[in-house]
Amino acid sequence: MANPKGLIGIIPMGTVPKHALEVISDRIFDLLGIPAHILNRVENPSYAFDRKRGQYDAAQIMTAAESMTWHDCPKTIWVLNVDLYIPIFTHVFGEARDGGSCALVSLYRLDSDAEGSPVSEEKLMARAAKVALHEIGHLFSVPHCTDYRCIMHFSTNLDVLDEIPMAFCHYCTAYLEEGVRRAGLR
Amino acid sequence: MDEKLRIMVVDDEKIVRESLYHWFRKAGHVVDMAASGFEALDKLDKTPFDVLFVDIKMPGMNGLELLAKTKEEYPDASVVIITAYGSIESAVQAMKAGASDYLLKPFKPDQMALVLEKVAIQRRQEDRYRYVKGLLDEVTRFDNIIGQAPVMQEIFDLIPEVAQSDSTVLITGETGTGKELVAKAIHAKSLRANGPFIAINCGAMQETLLESELFGHQKGAFTGAEQARKGFLEVVSGGTLFLDEIGEISPKMQIDLLRVIQEKKIIRIGEREPIDVDFRLISSTCRELDKAVQEGRFREDFFYRINVISLHVPPLRERKEDIPLLVQHFLNKYSQETTKQVNRVTDEAISFLKRYDWPGNVRELENAIERAVVLSKGRTLHLEDFSFLKPQKTRSAPPRTLREIQKDYIHEILIQESWNVTQAAKVLGINRVTLHKMIKRYNLQKPSDSN
Ligand SMILES: [Zn+2]
Ligand SMILES: [Zn+2]
Repeated sequence: MANPKGLIGIIPMGTVPKHALEVISDRIFDLLGIPAHILNRVENPSYAFDRKRGQYDAAQIMTAAESMTWHDCPKTIWVLNVDLYIPIFTHVFGEARDGGSCALVSLYRLDSDAEGSPVSEEKLMARAAKVALHEIGHLFSVPHCTDYRCIMHFSTNLDVLDEIPMAFCHYCTAYLEEGVRRAGLR
Repeated sequence: MDEKLRIMVVDDEKIVRESLYHWFRKAGHVVDMAASGFEALDKLDKTPFDVLFVDIKMPGMNGLELLAKTKEEYPDASVVIITAYGSIESAVQAMKAGASDYLLKPFKPDQMALVLEKVAIQRRQEDRYRYVKGLLDEVTRFDNIIGQAPVMQEIFDLIPEVAQSDSTVLITGETGTGKELVAKAIHAKSLRANGPFIAINCGAMQETLLESELFGHQKGAFTGAEQARKGFLEVVSGGTLFLDEIGEISPKMQIDLLRVIQEKKIIRIGEREPIDVDFRLISSTCRELDKAVQEGRFREDFFYRINVISLHVPPLRERKEDIPLLVQHFLNKYSQETTKQVNRVTDEAISFLKRYDWPGNVRELENAIERAVVLSKGRTLHLEDFSFLKPQKTRSAPPRTLREIQKDYIHEILIQESWNVTQAAKVLGINRVTLHKMIKRYNLQKPSDSN
């Protein structure tokens, strides 16, 4: 994976640990060979807060994010630390549209295990990177994968997410390559 | 993702619709959306869908009404009902009405994945069921002949039996009943199955051409014969020769063929030395040949030779219970050929097709379905799609050519006038010479002349 023509932008939304942004950036470069730049922080999306649910509407944040363009960064990852939902779902870890330009990644539910006790920093970082890479996969039109050892495998179960290695399977790598090329990033 | 499904999301709320749309897209499915039950039915009429996700609460037509309509008209589509927490009762009602599953909003994302998996498994089981049912359908069809009616079952039973012997077979039945299919089935089940099956329509050919087709010719044997050619009687060696409309062949040809059947030898046109031939003869006719024999228009010895075994294929109007089965068969055939995915016929149209008399039999039905499929705009054929079929007051005879009608009329008048040519010509309004020419052309013969 050489000669990147474009970049991926990482945008912190609200207060997000800097370390998480760096890990995400590193893993993107490791796996995709595309440099990912950490851009300036934007405000916490209070406009998307739903009082009844006590959660943030991912679709509204996405609409706001899609209305902005970033020079040199056709694809952007927005990292937040709030509880996200979409109307049909109780919650989501991340959100991206098939072939879209923006992806959301929330650290909110990643920092504890099934029993609610906090997990190690290392584990949290790995989870954040996997969710980010999964959503990036969608931005390049890669659909979900049945392979349990592939980042594109769909999972909202954190135990399952922990078991997934930091890698795309064979097929998804091929899809991803094609998607990256089609998006003009290589 | 192992199975790509065609999904339609039906919800009046744009945000819900789009959330589901994007989620299914990411899961690798083909997705479409509809904002109302009416829009959903409209889309279903044009494209097939595997699964519908339907919100129960919609203005106009609610989810349960759409579920009922979908199950009635497109039973192959699975429906998953989406409902808000608190309306569990309507979810239960939906399951009773044939929904595959229901989801209580909002649901955990992995619940959605589970529901999809469940639907996919259900569909696989149904496919397997349809496959097994397809095998059962085989019982009701013999190669390409389709029928559940007892008269057809009798024919299916006879075919393997007839195939065992090497005797000549005469298949009777109206035009378009599928006599050639029966002949092919006999050939396919016989010991000659690996040999050729050659079908010749005797009614469609001039006598000299038919003669050279059957017996072959040498180079220059007649004008236009630029190459020596083997006749079908030679080419068909080891196989089955099917002579369609055998009632149309001339007395001379009857004698020539009779000799071939008896001696198993032929002499090519323009040659002297006979050659051995080996074939089984199956013939067919839509006329009452025994009557023609009685009237001296068909050689009795030849008739008995070609009629060792006789089979009668009934006209379609005598097995109307097979019409839905045939309609489905031709629908599958032509929707595949035209890739138009027309796969339903309304009950109203079916009952019309069952009322219609089908003078042209199965062939006419096939043509009608082909025409309706080609012209249809939706996936369902309605009564109006068959308006080109005019219901008849009385059953009309099978269509005949002008030539046949003229021949029969002249013959009728000749009999009426006791073969007094002068008298008959007067009645017919033509001169004597013309009538003589016609008698010759149509091979009309006085009863006493044939012996
Ligand atoms: Zn995903
Ligand atoms: Zn994969």
